[in-house]
Amino acid sequence: MSNKSALNANNISVKFGGLVAVDDVSFDIPENSVISLIGPNGAGKTTFFNVLTGLYKPTSGTVTFDGKDITAKPPHKIAQAGVARTFQNIRLFGLMTAEENVMVAMHSHLKSGVLSTILGTRKQRAEEAESKKIARELLEFVGIGGTADKFARNLSYGDQRRLEVARALALQPKVLLLDEPTAGMNPQESKVFVDFVYRVRDEKNLGILLIEHDMSVVMKVSERITVLDRGQKIAEGTPAEIKSDKRVIEAYLGKSAESGK
Amino acid sequence: MAKSSARLSARLLIERTSASLIIGLVFFWLAINLLKSPSQFFQASVIGISNGVLYALIALGYTLVYGIIELINFAHGDLFMLGGVFAATFIAVWFGQESPSSVGYVVFFACLIAVMGFCATINVAIERFAYRRLRRAPKLAPLITAVGVSFILQFVGMRWNGSGPKTWNSVLPSGEFVISGVHIQYTTIFSFAVTIPLLALMTFIVTKTRRGKAMRATAQDADAARLMGINVNKTIAFTFALGGALAGAAGLLFQQTRGVTNYNLGYQLGLIAFTSAVLGGIGNLSGAVLGAILIGLVQGLNDGLPIGLGQQWSQTVVFSILILLMTFRPTGLLGKPMIEKV
Amino acid sequence: MKISLPRMRKSKASKKAVTGFDQAKWIRGFSIAAIVIWIFYSFVVDVLPYEVSSIFQKWMPATTVNEALVWVICALGLNIVVGYAGLLDLGFVAFWAIGGYVAGWLMSDFFQQVSIHLGSTAPAQQRGIHISFWGVLVIGGLVAAVFGVIIGAPTLRLKSDYLALVTLGFGEIIPQIFYNGENIGGFNLTNGSKGIAPVDNVGLFGKTLGPFDLDWKYLIFVSLTALMVFISLRIRSGRLGRAWLAIREDELAASMMGVPLMRSKLAAYAIGAVSGGVGGVAFATHVNGVFADRFSFSISIILLAMVVLGGMGNVWGVIVGALTIAWVNATGLPAIGDTFNSAFGTKINFPSYNFLLFGGILIFMMLYKREGMLPESRLKELLHETDDETSNTGRHS
Repeated sequence: MSNKSALNANNISVKFGGLVAVDDVSFDIPENSVISLIGPNGAGKTTFFNVLTGLYKPTSGTVTFDGKDITAKPPHKIAQAGVARTFQNIRLFGLMTAEENVMVAMHSHLKSGVLSTILGTRKQRAEEAESKKIARELLEFVGIGGTADKFARNLSYGDQRRLEVARALALQPKVLLLDEPTAGMNPQESKVFVDFVYRVRDEKNLGILLIEHDMSVVMKVSERITVLDRGQKIAEGTPAEIKSDKRVIEAYLGKSAESGK
Repeated sequence: MAKSSARLSARLLIERTSASLIIGLVFFWLAINLLKSPSQFFQASVIGISNGVLYALIALGYTLVYGIIELINFAHGDLFMLGGVFAATFIAVWFGQESPSSVGYVVFFACLIAVMGFCATINVAIERFAYRRLRRAPKLAPLITAVGVSFILQFVGMRWNGSGPKTWNSVLPSGEFVISGVHIQYTTIFSFAVTIPLLALMTFIVTKTRRGKAMRATAQDADAARLMGINVNKTIAFTFALGGALAGAAGLLFQQTRGVTNYNLGYQLGLIAFTSAVLGGIGNLSGAVLGAILIGLVQGLNDGLPIGLGQQWSQTVVFSILILLMTFRPTGLLGKPMIEKV
Repeated sequence: MKISLPRMRKSKASKKAVTGFDQAKWIRGFSIAAIVIWIFYSFVVDVLPYEVSSIFQKWMPATTVNEALVWVICALGLNIVVGYAGLLDLGFVAFWAIGGYVAGWLMSDFFQQVSIHLGSTAPAQQRGIHISFWGVLVIGGLVAAVFGVIIGAPTLRLKSDYLALVTLGFGEIIPQIFYNGENIGGFNLTNGSKGIAPVDNVGLFGKTLGPFDLDWKYLIFVSLTALMVFISLRIRSGRLGRAWLAIREDELAASMMGVPLMRSKLAAYAIGAVSGGVGGVAFATHVNGVFADRFSFSISIILLAMVVLGGMGNVWGVIVGALTIAWVNATGLPAIGDTFNSAFGTKINFPSYNFLLFGGILIFMMLYKREGMLPESRLKELLHETDDETSNTGRHS
């Protein structure tokens, strides 16, 4: 794995009052890779995500993206820079159509100001038409091309998950953070999803970071895995290495597992 | 590392500096007035504090309700207004008491119980019929409903009390005593004599009784409270009753000490009381009292001091404080910051 | 309510083509209604027999129509802030007042210290600032926009209830400044509670329109309304409109998709304020002056009731809601009262029930018809979704 790092997190700590949610965690997301972040519930994975996307400001530590420091920048600036994410509890704009949802994420790429929008200048119309086209292409890419004019709220659960990805891709990101993307999926759907992740990585040349609980997905899709437990990084390596790592097993199953080995 | 934390600390620096500047200016203003005319200063302070104590009763209602369902009950101030109108009707119209006498005092205390019950009932009814259905709705809905309720209550006030102010004679002893140039009305002492036990009673209810504990549990986490077997609906109703009762008491005190009722009093004083609650830290009970006294002081000083903006700017001053608070320190003096979970 | 199919509708006024709601139908309907009303009040009324025209005079006097249009213009502004962007502004009256005072300052003899004339209908020898009505409209809108930004700025990081209170605070402070403005450091800025009157006449194609030239004023007001409708619809179909809708639904998710929250919210305040300012200027020419005691909190609430009644975010619904409520308030209640009282021999003061009416509308709509009487179909779903099920499309903060 000699790819350049797209996103680096260095010594991130997040403390809420007395509670330490993330404790001195560092790692990298290289370009064109798939990395998984796993750990028992409450390990701090989503908190860590939120730091990477600018929602939380870390108590200490830095986040670098593409060589630039993005720690504690406002979320929309980080999104514009090229870090996109999906949400654990789907957060689509339910009352906007699928197409509009994707177009929202293109906000920062559009140039038309208020005046040209009001006047409907040729340039503005062309821009709108172009973004519609791109939105539809993205919907096709994630496999829900036919739902462009449906309200996001009315889509099936699986389609909603895909729409979230399409929306994130509309940011033209270099790094894509997926927060529990297979939650609620059956094994068949999860398998389809694994192939989808690879496609996204290769066709869009992204660094992808997944938070996942489904171990089969994690083992299949990841090139590297980082394990958090109670806010600390306890292991990092290839799927094979992680599978047999004692501390990981202990973290998931508790101390009693050790006695059984 | 340097750039974004520098930006963060720059913003913090600006906020801290502006806060210090404002506080510094306020102290400066106070100092000048104190030096210029001490007795006027103390006089204005006395008036201010006696107002503040009244605001505290109202502010507690706001903060109790906000603490438990995160709703600003816009109509709360109007409840206070109705309490005053009720009190006037009870004391002066039904019992014909318009001057100090032993019968008058008995009627006063009877009215205290009655008005507290009256306002508590109205508040519980409002919660039951207007707010309960909207508990899970997007915040816009209950807010707008609360505004609607406020208007309905004002309408009731208008029908009951007329479209202009009405003046009343009080059953409380008139007269004052003077300490080195500062006039303290007997009614002011009386206010304190009624308010402080009420506050103590309320503190007792909130901290020592089961209902009070249920309130605090629900305020922290309604779902967990429900799982512990707490009847959340009843608890919320109880909270509204408590807040309503306090507003009613405030209404009675206001009517008897200021001798005035008017349908739009609730709106004016409600905002002042709400500002007090925010100043103290919304959701925090002692904060509400503290904030109310401070706001009362500021208002009294502004109105009564030689170097002040005068009464016509009173609303502006209080609202400006509210806006500054919300901008720079929405958690108030004693409140705790909240973090949104993603 | 029928399901709207987002299609590009080519209508005669093709600039107004937008997706979603059946726009062309509404545009046609309102254009026709507007023209019919104009013809009626300009020509037909004069030739009607007295019995008939007096009915109209009682139930729909031309002054009410014009005043209602001013309310519509302001309600459209509030619709942008509350309806599109979801920011509960309870102090919108401030913009109405600002528009009014801009008109008062720039279209009257108030500032005797100078004598500036710019395209105005006022005679050249009059002192004071006299700028043409059309210029003042623009200036009033811009000044209001600036204040929109000032008022919006503190609210940007606040939750909806605190936001409402800050805007309410401004809605109190600004009119109070106007009311007390007779002596600001010795300078008479606003003439205090006396207000500034009269204001200059409006110049249109060489005509001079005074406060009684209602039919021409009607045309002007309708055109202003149409302009605001046009601006609202155009912006909503573009990226800023999408940003607003996203913010209204889930501002956190919106920001994480690259939508700049501060800028977008400030834009909503500013653009909404323009409408308020324009309405304020228009109203000043309607009542021939600006009067400080008119700008009360209840106006902000009436505007809110209009937007709520019509359906938040739905331009056509808001127009209907605004016209209805404005009419009821100005003419409907008194006229119904008279009729009722003379029919039943009672003496009920109907207009005094207006607080009950507005409060009732707000409560009823929120409890039973949150999407408005003429809902934007999407809103219907948003405002009911979180009631019974756990939503997985984000909460409105």
